[in-house]
Amino acid sequence: MYGRRASQLLKELDSCEPGQLVVFNSDVFDQVVRECNEHNAQFQSLIRKMVDQNLDIETTRNEDHYGAAIHHLSLLRNKRCLIAYMYNRAETIQSFRWKLGPVLPHEIQEKLHFSEKEYFKNHSAAIKSYISEMDIDLTVDMVPPKDPYIQVRVLEDIGEVSLGDHSISLTKNSLHFLRRTDAEQFISQGLMEEFLE
Amino acid sequence: MSSWDDEDTASAAATTDVELLKRAWRNEKAAPEILRFDSPLVSRAREQIQLLEETLEDFTDNGVDDLVVSLYQMDLDRALFLLRSYLRLRLQKIEKYMIHISKSDDLMSRLSLQEQRFAKSCTEIMEKHLEQSVLSKLPYGYDSVTRQSLSSTEDDMVPEPQLDTFVFCKTKSDVGAFQLDDIGEEIVDLVADDLYVLRYKSIKGLVENGRIDLI
Repeated sequence: MYGRRASQLLKELDSCEPGQLVVFNSDVFDQVVRECNEHNAQFQSLIRKMVDQNLDIETTRNEDHYGAAIHHLSLLRNKRCLIAYMYNRAETIQSFRWKLGPVLPHEIQEKLHFSEKEYFKNHSAAIKSYISEMDIDLTVDMVPPKDPYIQVRVLEDIGEVSLGDHSISLTKNSLHFLRRTDAEQFISQGLMEEFLE
Repeated sequence: MSSWDDEDTASAAATTDVELLKRAWRNEKAAPEILRFDSPLVSRAREQIQLLEETLEDFTDNGVDDLVVSLYQMDLDRALFLLRSYLRLRLQKIEKYMIHISKSDDLMSRLSLQEQRFAKSCTEIMEKHLEQSVLSKLPYGYDSVTRQSLSSTEDDMVPEPQLDTFVFCKTKSDVGAFQLDDIGEEIVDLVADDLYVLRYKSIKGLVENGRIDLI
């Protein structure tokens, strides 16, 4: 049945947890692209056939016309599915910039199409240039503040860091009482976690 | 959350910039489409934040009581969060409807200059991505980003916000009898300080001129 493969791509999107990505399905994707071009070839040859018979392609309603229409509509459907697949993935990739920062972890990189990697890089750069034009960092303060200070546990050796007017040594597994704004950058990089008793 | 509500009722008369920013933030959060960017308000809020930061610095230099400092710090943190979250919300809305926004002059005029640049580059980046991954592989006539094929007479592939979605809103003052549809069959009497659930599309104008707040 025409269009079945393309719908597989969307089912894949649908079965995925929101905000998560599965590996780019290049097999099915390429097959659908091939299908599109086959539809087009069929479509063109039916139109040519009608032209060769000196039929007016605008008004003639014979079997070739309906055949061509089916190929045209199947192609549209495939195109919509391909774009929806790409576009929805791109939206998820966009959200990674806000959730994970400017560098994607290896296990996500592996799931991306080469163009998606480029997309992430360019899109991050657009956000970065907005942030520097506005001169306000939008990647911190993702949750409403409660207490200005929080207790944190250091997960990796960070070393000597100067925060405000004093410097502290952030060694692995040590506990600190820091300003939330100072701690947030380390937490988002996975170097610290909030310590809850 | 409860302390915010108290503040709301208390400050109905005296409206501070932070209060106004909170309202803009809340409206933006609840509206399906992007609203007008309040440039003067944002720059006033930023000035006040800077002032607070300077006050705090003075405090620490002069050895003011830690409790006072942390209260000011809390106030500053809240204001900063509000501002960042407001700007972020708008960016995320632009990300969501980038193509729709960048092809409409009306929508573009609601954005700040920086947001306009962001919307434009976002759209270019998305179009390039779709172009090289999908469209360039499709046959001639089917390779447009905004149209399904050459036979489409208008843009039929651009994600748009759903304007007829329902929103919760609160009237600030009496609006009176208000027409919800085009033909005048549905009329609702909007009285001050009451809560309603209405279609966004029908009260859009009231949100824009500030007579109703989304919540």
